[in-house]
Formats: sequence, structure tokens, C-alpha cells
Amino acid sequence: MADRRPGEAAETGLELAGELRELLAELAGRPELRTADFGLPLFGTGIGLDSLTGTLLLREVHRRYGVDVAAEDLNLDALASLASLASFIETRRG
Amino acid sequence: MTSPGNNAAGRAGDAGGTSGVVRDTSQIAGGTSERAGGADQAASARGGDAARAVVKCVVWDVDHTLLDGVFLEADGEPPGADPAMVAVLAELSGRGILHAIASRNPPAAAEHVARVTGAAFVAAECGWDAKSDAIGRIADTLGIGTDAIAFVDDDPYERAEVSFARPEVMVLAPEEMTSAPGWPEFSPAVVTAEAARRSLLYLDRQRRQAAEREFGGSREEFLRWCQTEITIGPAAVADADRLAELSARTHQFNSAARALPAAGFAELIRAGETTGSRHAAGPAGPMRVGEVADPRPAVRLMGPTKAGEAAGPRPATGSAEAMAAGGVQSAAGDTARVLAVRLRDRFGDDGLVGTCVTEAGPDGWTVTLLAMSCRAMGRGVIDALLAWLIGAAARAGVRELAIPAILTPRNVPLRLALAAAGFRASEAESAGEPGAAGEPGQKRAVFRRSVDAGAAADSAGAIGAGGEAAGETPAPGEAAGSG
Repeated sequence: MADRRPGEAAETGLELAGELRELLAELAGRPELRTADFGLPLFGTGIGLDSLTGTLLLREVHRRYGVDVAAEDLNLDALASLASLASFIETRRG
Repeated sequence: MTSPGNNAAGRAGDAGGTSGVVRDTSQIAGGTSERAGGADQAASARGGDAARAVVKCVVWDVDHTLLDGVFLEADGEPPGADPAMVAVLAELSGRGILHAIASRNPPAAAEHVARVTGAAFVAAECGWDAKSDAIGRIADTLGIGTDAIAFVDDDPYERAEVSFARPEVMVLAPEEMTSAPGWPEFSPAVVTAEAARRSLLYLDRQRRQAAEREFGGSREEFLRWCQTEITIGPAAVADADRLAELSARTHQFNSAARALPAAGFAELIRAGETTGSRHAAGPAGPMRVGEVADPRPAVRLMGPTKAGEAAGPRPATGSAEAMAAGGVQSAAGDTARVLAVRLRDRFGDDGLVGTCVTEAGPDGWTVTLLAMSCRAMGRGVIDALLAWLIGAAARAGVRELAIPAILTPRNVPLRLALAAAGFRASEAESAGEPGAAGEPGQKRAVFRRSVDAGAAADSAGAIGAGGEAAGETPAPGEAAGSG
């Protein structure tokens, strides 16, 4: 982390958020999410993440990135948006 | 992992069962023809322990297990069914135990087996990879844990592979299955209407899932197209067995991770009934997913009940009282109310799929148990129930809803639903102190949500997945709605 050049983390974060967005669109069966804003709230009137899709998403995140969000984040605040999920994963996978 | 109190003992039982089977295996491999003797020995090797969890699904091999021969070796007509296994299949189905297939055969073998045995198989894994992997996929498909699966295969190698890779699975030889219906693992205490129809409900679910794959729109649009109806109302005493079953069998949407017996539910329900006039109000129409309105007419209510003093001894969850349909009326002392959640759609009637037990206290309502069948997952039920609770609390003038929950790796779906409905916990604490639910070392947290006067209206928006379009079913593929 420390020896990365400035801006690299942000770029990786963006790339990761893009991957997560693809994943979410696929799991939810909603292709229109491929262009969703990274800052859009995942719960409620934003993206309307339901518990089934959320469970699949967290399982896939654990498998792909080795980060168990549910075990580390009691209130699942990481799922506020795709951007927050990406940054949560980014800071933990090292 | 998750744990009602009997799980630890259940695991010890697993170990016993497995070693018993392994011993029996060597005996079969050694060519013994004493089938009955082998089964008796296996049964006694299980140690007669009744603590193991009831099996939810039996995963069957095909060749020389369900069939009287080898499917692919048949020259003309494939072999028929083993009559002893046909009897076992039927007996277990009647008890609400599901059947699935894991076979090293082409998919046609599963179709053949279904035809000759007359049994309904809720999943079939036909392929050439490890059977332990096939079992994992079946458990995923059904939304159950692998510890609720029994595996039957005539091949000692397959049994050893599954025993090794998945020690939690109960592994059995076909000859042992003839006596299995007499074992506690295959004997649910009560067979509810939902349980007896369980394999049909799973087949409905498969048709629904197939339709969803074809459907172009979002899940919420799909649920609307399915004419999903969620009915929330006070539970009746006749529901007690099913409620107990839900409290014991559900994991992914279970806040308490501990079973409440039918008698406990019956007592809570009776206490509520004695203080209320259940039929005072006619039922309203059920709620349809995507419906946006005042949630009140959106749920079927059997009639309001009034608050009052509950008589008789009190169950472990607390005391009994009534939470009125329109809200608890000045809860003097503690009050409790048991809700039953029913689900149906164009594919079938799932019956009673969820429950919640609510106690009214001076500061708000506490949900002492929230449990929903995993079969109802992804169908808007938990969101509807939470939205209904929030709306009912708001109408009753209650300031806060609290849902204490055990935190297990398996009930993450519940936490997702709570987060989506705006509940937050301040901090996880360890269970195990006197009076706390759960096993020592288990984490628990109290999820809270403040309720304001506008919550009744807000909560309507939370039904479904936050959809805005009301009423009409959109054409498949139309991307309107939940954005």
C-alpha cells in the first residue's frame, strides 16, 4: 500500500467498483445496473438491494476478494453504495 | 455453527453415525450377504442417540441404490426400481423429507428414476465430479445446510468420499435405509400441512425459478407478475405446530437461533385470543408485492385484539398479551403478539412461511423471534413483514422497534433485510450471560429502529424492493420501477 504512487488506490477502487457493479447487475438479473452511479444507495429507493441478491453479492465478494464483509461489519454499512463496498474491500484485502 | 442448543449433541451424533457407517461399509465390501444384520449393526453403532437434527433431504445414488441394476448397462429397457427403496421414498416424502439425486449418469437417469419410483425429486445432480460437491450444490439449491442432508449410496468409495469431505452429512448404505424410517433422524415430531406438501412446494419453486430466468425484468417486477400475495395476520392456535417448525428449521432468516416449542406458541396465541375479539373486523385484501399505499389495507388482518392482563404461566420468551391489529392499545405491562405470515402466488400456495413474536414494553416493541422459511427468500416476504411492523408500530404510537438477534454466518440474509429496513445495532455483544439467548460465545446484537409518525407511509415504499410503480403488472422486459 505505502509504496503505491499517489492516485493508484483511487484508480484501483474505481476499477473494483466497476467489477462489483458488473457482479451486482448479473446477480440481480438487471442489466440496467451496469451504468448505475457508484454513489447510489444500494438499499431502499436507490438500487433496492434485496436480501437474496445481497447474500449472493456478499458470498461472491468473499470468494473473489477474500473479504468477509458480514463478519466484519455489523450493520453492513459497507453496502451503503458500490463505492463504499469497493473501499471497504480495498482497505482489507491489502 | 449456528446452533440451537441441541446442535453440539447433534454433532457428536454425526461422528457416531459416520463411524458406524464406515464400519458397516467394510463389512459390505467384505461381501457379507447379511443385509439386515448390517443395518442393525449400523443402527446400534449410531448409538441410539436422538439428539441429531432431523434430516431435511435425502440425496440418493441411482445405480444399485434406487435402481435394481445399472442405468447405462441396460441393453434395452433400463432397470426398474428397488421396491424396498420405493417404499422408503414414499414413507419419507409423507413426513416432509425431500429427495434428490446425485448420480454418475446422464440426466436421463434422473428422469427414469422419477418415473419408475413415482417419487418427486427436488434436485438432480447428474455428472462425474465428486458427490460431496454435488451434495453442496443440492444444499445450495434448496437453501438448506449440508448438516440436514443424508446421503445414500451402495458404493463404499462414494460413501467414504462424502464422509471425509462432509463429515456433517449422514452417510448410509441402501440396506440401512430400510430401517431408517424408524430412526429419530427421519422422524419429525409433527408433520404439518406445509411439511407434507414440501416436495411439491419445491417443485413449484423450480418452476418459479425457471420462469424468473426467462423473465426480462427486475425481481420486483417478476414478483408482481407472479401475483405474489403476502398475508400478515395474528396466528391461530392451529398454527402452533407450523410456527414451532419454522422456529426450529429456519436459519437464514431466524433472529433467535433457538426453537420455541409448539406449546409455547399455543400459549402465547391463546393468551392473545382471550383478550381480543378476533373476528370483529373483516379481513382486508392481502398485500401484493409492489403495492404502494397505506400498508393497512394491504395486509389481511383477522381482527383487532385488545390489551389486557394475560393469565397463566408464562413461556420463556416472556409473557403473553395482544398487540392490536391497529397497534397495541396502551400496553400496560408486557404484551406479546404472534403474527403468521402466509405466501402464495400463481405458481402455488406456500402456506405459513414466517412468524414474528412481538412484545410491547414501555419503550417500544421488541421482536423476540423473527423466523422465515428460506423457501420464501427473494419473494419480498421479509421486507413486507418488517415494513408492516414499522407501520403497525407507527399507528400504535410506538417510538421504537427492537429486534435482538443472534449473529451467525447463516443468518446474514436477516441482517441484510434489517439493514434495508433501516434497523441498526450499536454493538455486538457476547451471548451466554444468564438469561441471554444463544450459546456461550455466540454473538448477538440488538437491531433498533426509531418509528416516527410518518413511518406508516414510509414503510409502504419499503415493500418489495423500494419500488415506485404501483398496481399494474409491467410487461416482461420493461425496465420501469425500482431504478
